[in-house]
Amino acid sequence: MTSLTREDMERSVSIKPKQYYDYTLLFLIVFLVGFGIVMISSISAYNATKYYDDAFLFVKGQLRYAVIGIAGMVGVSMCDYHWVTKRIFGLPAIVWGYFACVVLQVVVLFIGHSSNGSSRWIDIGPIRFQPSELTKIAVILLAAYIVQKAPKILDHFLGFVFVMFIFLPAIGLVVVENLSTAIIIVGIVFVICFITSRKKIYYFVSLGILAAAGVVLIMKVSYRAERIDNWLHVETASGAYQILQGLYAIASGGWFGKGLGNSIQKLGYIPEVHTDMIFSCICEELGIFGAVCLLALYAVLLWRIFLIGLHAPDLFGSLIVCGVFVQIALQVLINVAVVTNSIPATGIPLPFVSYGGSSLIFTLLEMGMVLSVAKRIQYQNS
Amino acid sequence: MAVRRQKKKSRKQLTRKMQKNFLLVFMVVVVLFMCLFVRMAYIRVVKGTQYSNAVLSHQSYVNTAIPYKRGTITDRNGVVLATSTPVYNVIFDPSVVLSDEKFKEPTLDALVEAFSLDRTELERILTEYPESAYYVLLKDQPYERIEAYEALRKANHKVIKGVWFETEYVREYPYGSSASHVIGYTNKGDVGTYGIEQYYNLYLNGKNGREAGYYDAELNLVKKVWEAEDGDTIVSTIDIYLQNIVEEKIEEFLQEYSCENIGVVMMDPDTGEIYAMASNRGFDLNDPRNLDTYYTAEEQAAMTDEEQLAALNAMWRNFCVNDTYEPGSTFKLLTVSAGLEENLISSSTSLYCEGARTLGRWTIHCNRKTGHGSLSLTEALMFSCNMAMMDIVQKEGRSLFRYYQEHFGLGSKTGIDLPGEAAGILIDEELLNETELATSSFGQGFNVTMVQMLSAYCSLVNGGYYYQPHVVKEIVDTNGATVLENKNSLLHCTVSNSTSEFIRQAAYLTVESGTATPAQVEGYLIGGKTGTAQKGNREEGKYVVSFIGGAPADDPEICIYVVIDEIHDETLYNSSKPATQLTSNILAQALPYLGIYPDGDIDYGVEYTGEQEAGDEVIDGLLEEGGEAEVSPTPIPE
Repeated sequence: MTSLTREDMERSVSIKPKQYYDYTLLFLIVFLVGFGIVMISSISAYNATKYYDDAFLFVKGQLRYAVIGIAGMVGVSMCDYHWVTKRIFGLPAIVWGYFACVVLQVVVLFIGHSSNGSSRWIDIGPIRFQPSELTKIAVILLAAYIVQKAPKILDHFLGFVFVMFIFLPAIGLVVVENLSTAIIIVGIVFVICFITSRKKIYYFVSLGILAAAGVVLIMKVSYRAERIDNWLHVETASGAYQILQGLYAIASGGWFGKGLGNSIQKLGYIPEVHTDMIFSCICEELGIFGAVCLLALYAVLLWRIFLIGLHAPDLFGSLIVCGVFVQIALQVLINVAVVTNSIPATGIPLPFVSYGGSSLIFTLLEMGMVLSVAKRIQYQNS
Repeated sequence: MAVRRQKKKSRKQLTRKMQKNFLLVFMVVVVLFMCLFVRMAYIRVVKGTQYSNAVLSHQSYVNTAIPYKRGTITDRNGVVLATSTPVYNVIFDPSVVLSDEKFKEPTLDALVEAFSLDRTELERILTEYPESAYYVLLKDQPYERIEAYEALRKANHKVIKGVWFETEYVREYPYGSSASHVIGYTNKGDVGTYGIEQYYNLYLNGKNGREAGYYDAELNLVKKVWEAEDGDTIVSTIDIYLQNIVEEKIEEFLQEYSCENIGVVMMDPDTGEIYAMASNRGFDLNDPRNLDTYYTAEEQAAMTDEEQLAALNAMWRNFCVNDTYEPGSTFKLLTVSAGLEENLISSSTSLYCEGARTLGRWTIHCNRKTGHGSLSLTEALMFSCNMAMMDIVQKEGRSLFRYYQEHFGLGSKTGIDLPGEAAGILIDEELLNETELATSSFGQGFNVTMVQMLSAYCSLVNGGYYYQPHVVKEIVDTNGATVLENKNSLLHCTVSNSTSEFIRQAAYLTVESGTATPAQVEGYLIGGKTGTAQKGNREEGKYVVSFIGGAPADDPEICIYVVIDEIHDETLYNSSKPATQLTSNILAQALPYLGIYPDGDIDYGVEYTGEQEAGDEVIDGLLEEGGEAEVSPTPIPE
């Protein structure tokens, strides 16, 4: 939009409608990624020096992922998102993609590379990634595809159940190792259905049912019950060390922070500080003011995505954008809620900011999809 | 935004309703964001101070104590009697060793080579405790072994990892049981128990140092080391060679006789310094809980915990300081001195001994039951006549007598620098009736400690100067500066020079021709006085025999006091002979060592010309019931 001058707009009247590229969103994304790299360089230097003898190890890694991710994002944004609906062997490409993701989820359970007790990673050649990240994209695309095909079925409860049923394999496989990602997938499908539906009431009912299912799931699995205990007794429970140290960081940072680079909690006190817990040290160094600015930045980003969703050229595009919107929003909400001990601990990275290749690259690819949708928005002068 | 318009309506698009739904979702997200902000603000406001303090405590990162070295105890010539030597605990850190494959082999090699450890044992520890970061492999290793390991490590420091050392000090007593009661031992944690170790514990213990590091406001690592302050060195007045002579002679004596207790104290009469202090109950300071010397393994096994503790306490007690007894005839010197000081008698006073005297309903015997007949004051001491003492004490009276007892330091602690000193028990002035006064005059009926008697004796023979007895000469800190010096130990004057001269002569003649002839050492002028006291219940026939004396007799440089409690011998149980003999044995070796050479040809100038026969002091029942008076003697306080 920033590139549009009055002349451009006037020209667009006479010539054919001008294609649109959302540079504001691009700028916001690049800014967030850059901000993340700055914070990682401040926060990870101590541990990187201590354990790997290289203060910039994580910074270099994140820079590499950012370059790959942004290139990928721009590449995706140039493509027409409709190609995923092209039929291959009689089925749309996205359906095959979804099957592939389900297979990968099965594979990761058996040969996955485990870290911190959960096997979530899979090695393909030199690349190690989390299939669940890919699953999220597949779910967004497939859900959008199915719903735009027959939006009316969602006016009935059974139609909603049918759509959820399609995604049950993916959700079921993810929930084994990663409850929070499963919640995000459910959230994506749920919101896509909710937006399209003309009836509301049964969504609130099913929201209640889903919440109850979630509680049962938590109580049944022992390590999750322990997390509940840690959450409720964060200052005394032995397992709540990481969260408590994060709270120390938030509280000791004060309103305006200790200044960039001055965190104490990053000095080995918060485990995984540069990944899922990065928000706590942002609070410590930049203060609650800095944290609120970051949240505001996310809000603006979501606002831009929301606008693209509203103005997408077709329902498919709108729903894709909606799915990405839900995913980003849920990740930010869950991450910050965990760090502030508002909900029980679960491992979700902060989008664009947390260190991590899979998370950053796939999030950027999703943003590529949003930009691709935005690119299809056409202008005309009234 | 206004310029943007949806163009194609042909394809399915977001309907208005759907847009509203989407907006609703967006609003929910924004509201949730606000909730998170509130949550953060809540954490800040409610927990801010508490959590900030928790973070501040993170700013220190290491905090290790550096142990101090407990001070050394030396004898008067600088011979080390007790010292702390550093030893090292070898700490093994399997988590580090296993962190890299290339660490394991070289590290194990180095450990096996330097500490001769069993390799399979090390492997076992690694497999059993792979996560451990603190496994104590060995304790109390000498520095040489650590040095050997460090040399190996330096040569290959990149792969030899995961072993470190903790310094500790262990207390060592090079002379084992020598002077055990004077030195005392230390319990764990440098707590001195008994002897100098206990009395001077505060001086001996230093202050632990500390090594701490923290992050300052700029997050720079600040390291600070507060060095440990080592304890002070204590120079005792003990002469370990002399001490060993005394202990050796006691040992020899015990091979011939058996008895309850023996105490021997040697003291410099001109300073109050104790040169040697020994008893028959020494114990190994390096192993103070070992009762093997006194009990067989079976006896020990049969002991209850209380009995064992009682046995240990009996062994640890310092008889010379902690125990009291009735002094007997050695006290006669004090009775006579008091009389001389008060001018109630003089050296020319003539006395008469009829052998026995009845006071109230008690008949008191002299040690020679037939009586000494007419004797001079000197003779009264030489032959230890009880009747003569009773005459003198009658002249003194109860208050004067009581005054002089205290004047000579009896009935109160001498203030010797050893723990648990007993004060002794005197008969109160108002209870000192005729009989009590009479028995007190020859040292019965009240209790004293050895150091009290010896200190009093020293003052009698050194010209009348009462020095406080002490076992520590000076305390020197680690820089060599003197912290404390026991120099001004002169407390008061007890007797005049002339009285002192009289006592010296009488003591000399007692050894030369009186009751203490076995105490003679060829070539030396020895002076002294024997003592034979009935113990406790008069009917039991138990005796404490003693000898107190000094050499050379005309100007004593060393005084000695030997007390033997209950000799288990049928013929000598009530005779002073064992005590005088033991004294002679000790002095024969001790005097040349002390640089007091035989001076046989130098004549003191006093000679006994009387008719009394020399002989050991032997008593056989001092008191007999037989008077008419109602007054009974005050029971002897136990």
